[in-house]
Amino acid sequence: MRRHTQPANDIYRPILIFLFLLGGLLTVPIGAEPVSLDVAMDTPVLLSGGARTAYLRIALKGGELVDPADRTPINLAIVLDRSGSMQGEKLAEAKRAAVMAVERLQPDDVVSVVTYDSTVHVLVPARRVGDARLLVERIQQIGVGGNTALFAGVSKGAAEVRRFLSSQRVNRVILLSDGLANVGPSSPGDLAELGASLANEGIAVTTIGLGLSYNELLMANLAERSDGNHYFAERAQDLERVYTAELGEVLSVVAQEVEVTAAFSSGVRPRRILGRDATLEQGSLRGRLNQLYSQQTKYFLVEVEIPEGAGGEQRSVAEVTVSYGDLRTGIREIRWNKVSVLYSDSLAAVEGARNSRVMGSVARQIGAEQNQYAMRLRDEGKLEEARRVLRSNAEYLAEHADLYGNRWLEQDAQRNLADADNLDAEEWRAQRKRMLSNQLEALQSLGYIE
Amino acid sequence: MHRRLLWTFALLVGIPLLVVAWLGIRLAEEREARAVQGLEELLRSTLRSLDGEIQQLLERHRLAIRQAVQRAPGTRDGYREIRGRLPIVRQVFAVDRATGELLYPSLMDDLDREEEAFLRRTRDLWARGALLRGAEERPAAVSAGTGGPHAGGAWETWFWGDGLHLIHWWQPAAEATGGGEIVGAELSRIRLLADIVAAMPDSDPLAPDLEGASIRLVDSGGTVVYQWGALEPGDGERPIVRSRLSPPLAAWSLEYFFADPAGGPAGRLLYGWLPWLLLLVALVVALATYFFRESSRELREAAQRVSFVNQVSHELKTPLTNIRLYAELLDESLPDDLPGPRRHLRVIVAESQRLSRLILNILTFSRRQRQGLALRPRPGRIDEVIHKVIELFRPSLEAEGLEIALDLDASRPAHFDPDVLEQILGNLVNNVEKYSAGGGRLAVESRQAGETVTVRVTDAGPGIPPGEEERIFLPFHRLGNALSDRATGTGIGLSIARDLARAHGGELELEPVTAGARFRLQLRCGEGETEAEREVRSP
Repeated sequence: MRRHTQPANDIYRPILIFLFLLGGLLTVPIGAEPVSLDVAMDTPVLLSGGARTAYLRIALKGGELVDPADRTPINLAIVLDRSGSMQGEKLAEAKRAAVMAVERLQPDDVVSVVTYDSTVHVLVPARRVGDARLLVERIQQIGVGGNTALFAGVSKGAAEVRRFLSSQRVNRVILLSDGLANVGPSSPGDLAELGASLANEGIAVTTIGLGLSYNELLMANLAERSDGNHYFAERAQDLERVYTAELGEVLSVVAQEVEVTAAFSSGVRPRRILGRDATLEQGSLRGRLNQLYSQQTKYFLVEVEIPEGAGGEQRSVAEVTVSYGDLRTGIREIRWNKVSVLYSDSLAAVEGARNSRVMGSVARQIGAEQNQYAMRLRDEGKLEEARRVLRSNAEYLAEHADLYGNRWLEQDAQRNLADADNLDAEEWRAQRKRMLSNQLEALQSLGYIE
Repeated sequence: MHRRLLWTFALLVGIPLLVVAWLGIRLAEEREARAVQGLEELLRSTLRSLDGEIQQLLERHRLAIRQAVQRAPGTRDGYREIRGRLPIVRQVFAVDRATGELLYPSLMDDLDREEEAFLRRTRDLWARGALLRGAEERPAAVSAGTGGPHAGGAWETWFWGDGLHLIHWWQPAAEATGGGEIVGAELSRIRLLADIVAAMPDSDPLAPDLEGASIRLVDSGGTVVYQWGALEPGDGERPIVRSRLSPPLAAWSLEYFFADPAGGPAGRLLYGWLPWLLLLVALVVALATYFFRESSRELREAAQRVSFVNQVSHELKTPLTNIRLYAELLDESLPDDLPGPRRHLRVIVAESQRLSRLILNILTFSRRQRQGLALRPRPGRIDEVIHKVIELFRPSLEAEGLEIALDLDASRPAHFDPDVLEQILGNLVNNVEKYSAGGGRLAVESRQAGETVTVRVTDAGPGIPPGEEERIFLPFHRLGNALSDRATGTGIGLSIARDLARAHGGELELEPVTAGARFRLQLRCGEGETEAEREVRSP
């Protein structure tokens, strides 16, 4: 291994960091924190006498936008499928939605428009919006072509975003596709790798699947790994709504490149991560969010094993550090927090101290995992079994929704019930896309407001 | 006659046209081949420059990786961090050069998912020991640049799962590691593809840069990774030019497709040449038509002239016959004691006979031109005809001082046209009279063998100059200069004599002799009989 030699000027680093933090304090107005950190256990009080399993939730909430007009400039690539299957209403609606999106941008935003069929065309190279009418005119010219070079479309779209890549902009590709990628790399694994590599640069890819013919796993993987959103638009008329929702999110980004590190105290053993993915190694968790939206909460959930303790004893569980890029200032901020548990001999005290928000999150992840399981069963053709799993999952979710007063769980319960009724062959193509996008929503806590 | 002229002109037009067309096509083909070659070279150079761009991209990645790894602390965390910072890097690794053991990621450590996957992917690579061998083989290779020996490092490729994977490795400077380590990074295949796609041109469907063409990047499995250009090549269509990328990406290739708007070289050739060819054809045909009309007009005029002469000759025949008739009547009724007038009369008769022969010749000639010669064979004896002709000429021959020697042996009855024989012999003797004037000898010999009758006419005149033997039989050909200075004639006598002989199934030829000239006439005569004999036989 390489021996790391400490350069002499490293002694100045603490001073620099101090000055850096001071600068941050001076520029950020108090009370308008872009990110608030909430670290909590589902059971802050543990029953003494025996090792216990508990859930740690690291939640990040996007702050309020002080002045919506003074929002972060965005750097958007709209990537449109113009393959033969888009002929007619689909392309018309896609164009209308893209025009709508462009018209909602401000002159200082950067936008590019890329179309793809067998080949890729950078219709509008990345540029400041300026006069949107010119862009609209170009979008109107789009006509249908042949195949679906999805990989190349995303690559070109990302390349356009990269030209104006900035930590002070929301960098995003919005990909629309209605069919199977058939030119270039087209396996879900390949697109996941591409998504992960783009996420490393701070580029998120939001994927919109239109109709029933696209590969939902590919589209979901690409979105998930790049930390973008995934939408299922069953009909062309849904596109405008989807773009509006997506643009609403993009316009409300408050922080980017959020990095979360949790160092677990000795004796505490992290067992697995639920929902949003992160790496877990030895004593620490590392997670990453591409961006955080205003008012929305994103969280990492870890199942931990906490050693036994005596009543009244307090035990530190983890120390959590979050660093993120503040979009308004372009400066990296750091938040720090820690969490601990208290041991008690009284079961009532344990019950009474339960954190319903964390419990709700845990229930939601478990519900999503059950839904994934049901989908696998249905894929294997075990229709009845899948239906049973979905029904009992719906029961479980509804029960916990009541228990914690959590409307998201209520919504998930309804969805699971609906899923159970739509497993028949003729429904399955649409249903599978719907389930996958709902799972992703729950696992990634997309649009989640607490 | 007219049809033959037409054919001649058709050939005159057709052959040069064919030759010109063939030459033109050959030329165009050659040009086409050169153009195709030039085009291929052009396309190849386009592909080469694209390959160059991809190489530059790879080089930029290589430098970024080297820089990132050199700056990072050589610890697990340091290496892991590079993975997140450089999107092109899928995994960084370090190998002990002495043992070939992986120092990072190591099975001894806590592996994350990426590291586990990396070990699975690269198992073959470590088993192969390619990197270590490479390090042995390149002890001081590419030592230029920063970072000490082996600064250039090397690329290593292997195939796993979905295709080509790429590693860049090098030996860091000795002061950093003690020289016992090989450090490298695996590139993300997908990310590299995405970067290549981003670096390659796009295609505007409304105004394509590559009109009627397209370029494809094809991976090791033959799958199209990326394509641009207005052409959508059909399934199984072969590219005009295919060029492999430079190593280490030699498993991938660039393909140039090109649509032929005129449907192949032959089509394009016709496209370019057709108007010119048509113009040429039109020109030659117009010229030929012009000449054809001109010459046929001349022919028509000549025919008119011949017909005029023919008519005049006809008109002359009747008065001439009367002149002869009356001259002969007068000769008979003249008293014997008037030698002066009688001699004058003989001259008139001889000259009118000469004129008759001349007119007969002209009429025969024009008849031959119009409808061919008709024979009227009838029984007779050859020698009788010869005697008759000689007797006709005798006065004038003797007047010229010519001695006549006859050796006749063809007195058996035969079936032939005596008029024709008379005309032939008249022409021959007339020539002797004309050319051998001033003395000499005329010998006529006749033989009969079966159906063939041979008559030889020999004179002791100046003979026929060598080279003229055949030409004297051509119409209007006359021996020139000294020879014929004194002589006059139409120049059709021998020609007609030969034609008549041939019409009679025979031949008229010049036989070689030491002095003078000898003509041999052969005729095929049926076994004939005289009228008297026939009368005897038929009761």
